[in-house]
Amino acid sequence: MTLILSRYVRLCRLAVLALAALLLMLTALLGQAAHAEEPALGKEDLACQKCHDSATIKPKMTQAGESLSLHISSSAFLASRHSETSCTDCHENADGKDHGKVEVPMKSRRDYRLSYQDTCTTCHKKNVADYKDSVHAHLVKAGSDKAPTCSDCHNVHTQINVKIVQPIANVPCANCHEEIFKAYSGDVHGLERVAKGKSAPLCADCHSSHKIQAASLGEGIKDNCFACHKDAVAKHEVWLPNSGRHFEAISCPVCHAPDAQRRVNLRLVDSAGRKQIKEVLGVPQFERLTLAANTSGGSLNEKELSSFLKEFNVEQTAGKAILRGRLEVRSGVQAHQLSVKEKAIKDCRICHEVGATPFQSVVLTMAGEDGRPLRHGVEKEVLTSLTAMGSLRGFYTIGSSRIKLLDYLLVLVLLGVLCVPVAHYTVHRMFKPRREQRLAELARSASVAANTSAKNDNKV
Amino acid sequence: MEKNYIHPLPVRIWHWINAIGFLTLIATAVQIRYMDLFQLLNFRTAVVVHNYVGFVLIANFFLWFGYYLFTDKISVYLPEMNPQKYFEDSWRQIKFYGYGIFLGEENPHHPTIYHKFNPLQIMMYQIIMLLAVPIMFGSGLLLWDVKRFSAVVEFFGGVRVVDTVHVLMFIVFCGFLLMHLYLITLGPTRLAHIKAMLTGYEEEHGDSKSKP
Repeated sequence: MTLILSRYVRLCRLAVLALAALLLMLTALLGQAAHAEEPALGKEDLACQKCHDSATIKPKMTQAGESLSLHISSSAFLASRHSETSCTDCHENADGKDHGKVEVPMKSRRDYRLSYQDTCTTCHKKNVADYKDSVHAHLVKAGSDKAPTCSDCHNVHTQINVKIVQPIANVPCANCHEEIFKAYSGDVHGLERVAKGKSAPLCADCHSSHKIQAASLGEGIKDNCFACHKDAVAKHEVWLPNSGRHFEAISCPVCHAPDAQRRVNLRLVDSAGRKQIKEVLGVPQFERLTLAANTSGGSLNEKELSSFLKEFNVEQTAGKAILRGRLEVRSGVQAHQLSVKEKAIKDCRICHEVGATPFQSVVLTMAGEDGRPLRHGVEKEVLTSLTAMGSLRGFYTIGSSRIKLLDYLLVLVLLGVLCVPVAHYTVHRMFKPRREQRLAELARSASVAANTSAKNDNKV
Repeated sequence: MEKNYIHPLPVRIWHWINAIGFLTLIATAVQIRYMDLFQLLNFRTAVVVHNYVGFVLIANFFLWFGYYLFTDKISVYLPEMNPQKYFEDSWRQIKFYGYGIFLGEENPHHPTIYHKFNPLQIMMYQIIMLLAVPIMFGSGLLLWDVKRFSAVVEFFGGVRVVDTVHVLMFIVFCGFLLMHLYLITLGPTRLAHIKAMLTGYEEEHGDSKSKP
């Protein structure tokens, strides 16, 4: 019995030892794997970083006289999204032999950044394609020296996950759109973003990251509002008559940025698809035709607007252009002053009353070839003119853009119609003596006739 | 004095619903269009009431249309087909309202349940009921939900055109209402026509003796 017990104990010890050994081996293997996942610089990259991670590396002076830092922090690079990318993946022209020894002239920092635009395409095909369709890329193409290239928004050597923007002021858009970002920081979305984090939108959530279009063109970013505020349509339908039309003709900030100034935007759209017409590349139609039509100077009056449309349609090959009115706020800054919904405008009189402030400013808009809106002022009287019917067929607001001539017609008809009964009644009163005389004569005749008839009856 | 039954019950119901409805529509329309002049109702309430009453009147229109379409009473709207007689009758009626009535002459038209309208009324009510009212209701329906009916609105030239037509019809109806209110006092007595529309019976005096 004792022998059996001691053998059993020995077996257990062996099993425990074997298990421990197995665990040790597994731990060692896992440790090795974990160690292998940690990013590290390759041999070639180490060679690059030997100089570029040095605190003493001198900045490069461009021909434009700017200073470009050549310092790349290895630790920041290894913590970035590009940690697995080798230096030469992007800097493929860096010659191992001459690099650092022969001075390569650099025109300007901007020029250098532009030269790397296509490099990003190698890995980020979709994002670059989207960017190339954006207002930013169009501006770059048009020669802007301020519109952002890839590396203006993304520091390629330190770029971490773009979704991590902490604090929000680190968002690259704030570099150029400073005033708008300031407004955003104080509005309902900005405050929510700081308080609750990612549940509230930051720039790219509404404007997209790369395919950025001018927000005041086309349908704007309304659909992006609905992406989060899914019940917005249903909630408006409960209390807002003709809510579909309101959504179509009014941008969200018009009511949800209660302190903003509003205006009427008459957009040039094609009559078939209702798409905003964009200026053809190299054909500056808008400026030329508005200048030609604007004989009085200043804003376009009714005749000038009509003349502009006529001339525009002569040149328009793809279908007829019409004007589609829309209410919007006057600037991007004001569009980012959104308030909590309790403060949103619900008083219909803000718009539906003669002299309403949004109708005191009217602009004509077309999309420019670079994707930015081209605008020209229009006289506000156009909105209340009967003869502007042809130009403004698609825009009407009860009360504020009511046609004045119809008001005069109403008064005229009421006065005219009232004159008839008043005159008729007056004549009727004037004829009272004649009427009474006639009726008396009739009564007398009837009485005589009755007497004669009675006498004849008696004779019979 | 004899009594003629000239307004059947369905017609009287239709008429008074129409009367109350049109007065409400005119009142709310004025409020909607002229918020700057007075504010008896807020804009939204005026629009909602205007919309609901509009639908009631559209349904009411079909009550009227169905009644006359499917009964022999349609004869009240049928004009005289002999042009010469039609013009003679019309001229006689114009002479009465323009001169004879001042002398206390008898109205040349004697209403019956099958011929209750004089030639001028037939012409006027045909225009009102078969042209003006459908245009009014049609344009109102389009404006009730511009987005839903956007294709039709575009077909007619856009929301500005449709609204202008609606307002023009509003002006026509305001004018019509004023004339109607005066003309209904030109019966044998000032209240005879109104009583008739309430009771269905119109008193025939033979001459306008009671209304000097």
